[in-house]
Amino acid sequence: MKITFKINGQDANLDVDPLMPLLWAVRDELKLTATKYGCGKALCGACTLHIDGEMFRSCSIPVEYALGKNVTTLEGLPESHPIKQAWMELQVPQCGYCQPGFMMAAAQLLETNPHPTDAEIQQNITNICRCGTQSRILKAVKRAIELNKK
Amino acid sequence: MSEDKKVFSRRKFLKRGGIILGGTFVAGYLGCNTARRFIAETAESIDLPAKITSFNPEFWFQVLPENNILLKSPKIEMGQGIFTGYAMMAAEELNVPIEQMRVEHANTATGIEDELGTGGSNSTSTLFKPIREMAATLREMLKLAAATIWKVPVNQVITQNGILQCGDKKMTFFECVTATKTWTIPKTPALKPASEFKYIGKDVKRIDLKDKVMGTAQYTIDAHFPNMVYATMLKSPQFNAKLKSVKTTTAEQSTDVLKVVHQDGWCAVVAKTQYAALLAVQKLEAIWDVPKLWQQAEMEAMVTVGKGNAVSVQKTGNAKSVLENGAGNVYKQAFRTPFGTHAPMEVNGTVANVTKDFAIIVVGTQNTVPTKALVAKALGMDKKMIDIQIPYLGGGFGRKGRFGNVVETALLSKIMGRPVKMMYTREQEFQNSFYRPLTHHVLSAKISEKGEIQAITHDQACPDMILKYVMGNRLPLKLLGADFISAGHGAGLLYNIPNKSATLWNTEVPVPVGIWRGVGMYPNTFATESFINELAHETKKDAIDFRMSLLTDPKDEIAQRTKKVLETLKEKSGWTTAKPVGIGRGVSVANDRKSIAGSVVEVAIVEGKIKVLRVLQVLDVGMILNPEGIRAQMEGCVMMGISGALYEEVTVKDSQMSVSNFHELPLANLMDVPDIQIVMLANAQEPYGVGEPPLAPIAPAIAGAILDLTGKMLRTLPLKL
Repeated sequence: MKITFKINGQDANLDVDPLMPLLWAVRDELKLTATKYGCGKALCGACTLHIDGEMFRSCSIPVEYALGKNVTTLEGLPESHPIKQAWMELQVPQCGYCQPGFMMAAAQLLETNPHPTDAEIQQNITNICRCGTQSRILKAVKRAIELNKK
Repeated sequence: MSEDKKVFSRRKFLKRGGIILGGTFVAGYLGCNTARRFIAETAESIDLPAKITSFNPEFWFQVLPENNILLKSPKIEMGQGIFTGYAMMAAEELNVPIEQMRVEHANTATGIEDELGTGGSNSTSTLFKPIREMAATLREMLKLAAATIWKVPVNQVITQNGILQCGDKKMTFFECVTATKTWTIPKTPALKPASEFKYIGKDVKRIDLKDKVMGTAQYTIDAHFPNMVYATMLKSPQFNAKLKSVKTTTAEQSTDVLKVVHQDGWCAVVAKTQYAALLAVQKLEAIWDVPKLWQQAEMEAMVTVGKGNAVSVQKTGNAKSVLENGAGNVYKQAFRTPFGTHAPMEVNGTVANVTKDFAIIVVGTQNTVPTKALVAKALGMDKKMIDIQIPYLGGGFGRKGRFGNVVETALLSKIMGRPVKMMYTREQEFQNSFYRPLTHHVLSAKISEKGEIQAITHDQACPDMILKYVMGNRLPLKLLGADFISAGHGAGLLYNIPNKSATLWNTEVPVPVGIWRGVGMYPNTFATESFINELAHETKKDAIDFRMSLLTDPKDEIAQRTKKVLETLKEKSGWTTAKPVGIGRGVSVANDRKSIAGSVVEVAIVEGKIKVLRVLQVLDVGMILNPEGIRAQMEGCVMMGISGALYEEVTVKDSQMSVSNFHELPLANLMDVPDIQIVMLANAQEPYGVGEPPLAPIAPAIAGAILDLTGKMLRTLPLKL
């Protein structure tokens, strides 16, 4: 089936199984590989991206859901984005594999709630990191809130 | 690595003319293997670890056109920050700004081969001197070449910021490389003294930071070749299942399926898309032969002190006799740790591009040399025709020390005649892996009437983690009796107690088991340090003072450094200050690969659950290379330690591991972040391990804090109230 949508501002024209998870369409068909496979069951958040400003775990939604919509992946956040800047400043990543998902979840949180409390950050970002970067993630989100004010 | 870089590397550094080594002229291009052997045999002045080949700076470094220096790392970057550490070491001797350093994994076709693999927290310590010596050699080679070009004595040439200079003559490293046809390799130059270090010991930003924040870092799953197809293997969730038969017709007719391969007891679907392969593999009708349904209770019964071979790994005085005879009280307790899974966020997998005469294998492995040998054997190809290319690893923790599906993927690529990507599913990653083995520990101590510890024994039961895997079912394990390397790691007692002994009981379990971050130190520290906390509690002594009173031998360097760690813990944690109501404090230390790690934690019980509020981590790393890198590893160990202490547990039911995906493996998350305080000590002249040592003390410190808070000792991981 032909499916068209916008991804990071560009046109995406795909001819794929409409039920293919958006994750694989983005990664394998569109070659945008920042969005990662972690669990395939929307449990870990490594595949987090935005569709029309809402956050999704792309391993568990079909590509046809994106039809006519605007998809944003980590590649679509500018380098100057407060989340990316805060992640650079705090040197958050270790292995780095889960970080795109964390950054997309954090970016979404700050869109909907520009001044979250610590508890709100902890409750809203439920992604998984195995290297143990969680303490820096918390700091980086708080730093991004400050950068947002500027 | 892109093609132009490879061409540049060979042409500019080897092919253009010869190399002069110790007065011997080597005409023409030798080919890397010949050159490697020749150079290895000739330039023996550099003190490399025995298992790392290649003395030629060309294999290690490449000067890139923009005058950046590429270092080809024989060790794998899996998040531990080793690329940054190596860049610092090299920049220090090359006199280039750290920003000009680039680091990539050495590929096995042209690069350095490291037979040891990456692990054991030894990547910094083993290459600390060699990389600096290699960089210093390259610097001197460049100076010699510049001196020849400018026709000046070499001692008038200096290097600064990647520039060669003599009076008002200037040239970049790259200009020198392109203008030089014949290289002279000098004797190994003296290394910079510590007083002149520009980078070593100072905070340096991760060299892989930008790639990882912008999302451009490449992992195995991101590798792509033109015409590539996707495969998924059929796997049974039961660890002892053998594929008896499989009906493939329905899967073969599934959309976008190209082929179903069934051979040598395994079966995989190859399809045009990942999704098609994942759908089709579910349509395979498999019959599995499961000889026995194993249960958790059987595993625990097998791994019990008193069963299997007993091997003594520590014996001072006569602990057994002191325990059994004479006055005083015997205090005895047993501890257990569960099966553990590594759970790297990136599942294992391979991308293989096998053609008639060359094979490129992209795989995130901690062990490149054996991976190459395995692929060569499976494909029937010469090892020279195989290039193992390593992208970033999305976490390792020991899991990627084994080979995953590299053989099957290589074979599928050969069969299909095109590149194949085959990743594990998360379910396969969790259920078709190997596990940290469960352990059982019995500790006994003789406490005199005065409250002194006269004797202590540690009996530990643990399946073999490494020997059988490395050596097969052959003589060594039988000869050695037990896996003293891994299971025995940390089994011995650190304290200066007059009579002490440690004994390993080696039993086998049917579950595949192996190395997990922290190896034996993780379970052994939980048992021994928990027991020490109990002894302090029993004898009504302060847990830090009690430990210090047992570190009395002034000649025991480890004991003395441990004492300093304890003193630091006491001072910086506010140990002697009054505790708020509802707070428990606990302590633990561990000496691991010469590093000394210690933790003080504060816990509370919140809504019936253990909550870690504060952690002070102290690590004596010998010598500090990159404080920022060490800090990150220590913070990571705090979180992984909390995760293991409070949540992680894998059990066996009907020959199946209890975790199939993350919903069955609770892990520490943002909710669990405590207030973390990090202190680094440097009490030696060389850097020691950082990646694993800080992990071990966390769980026993938490258990000690619960003992302090509730008076109850929890002796099984994960800790449950």
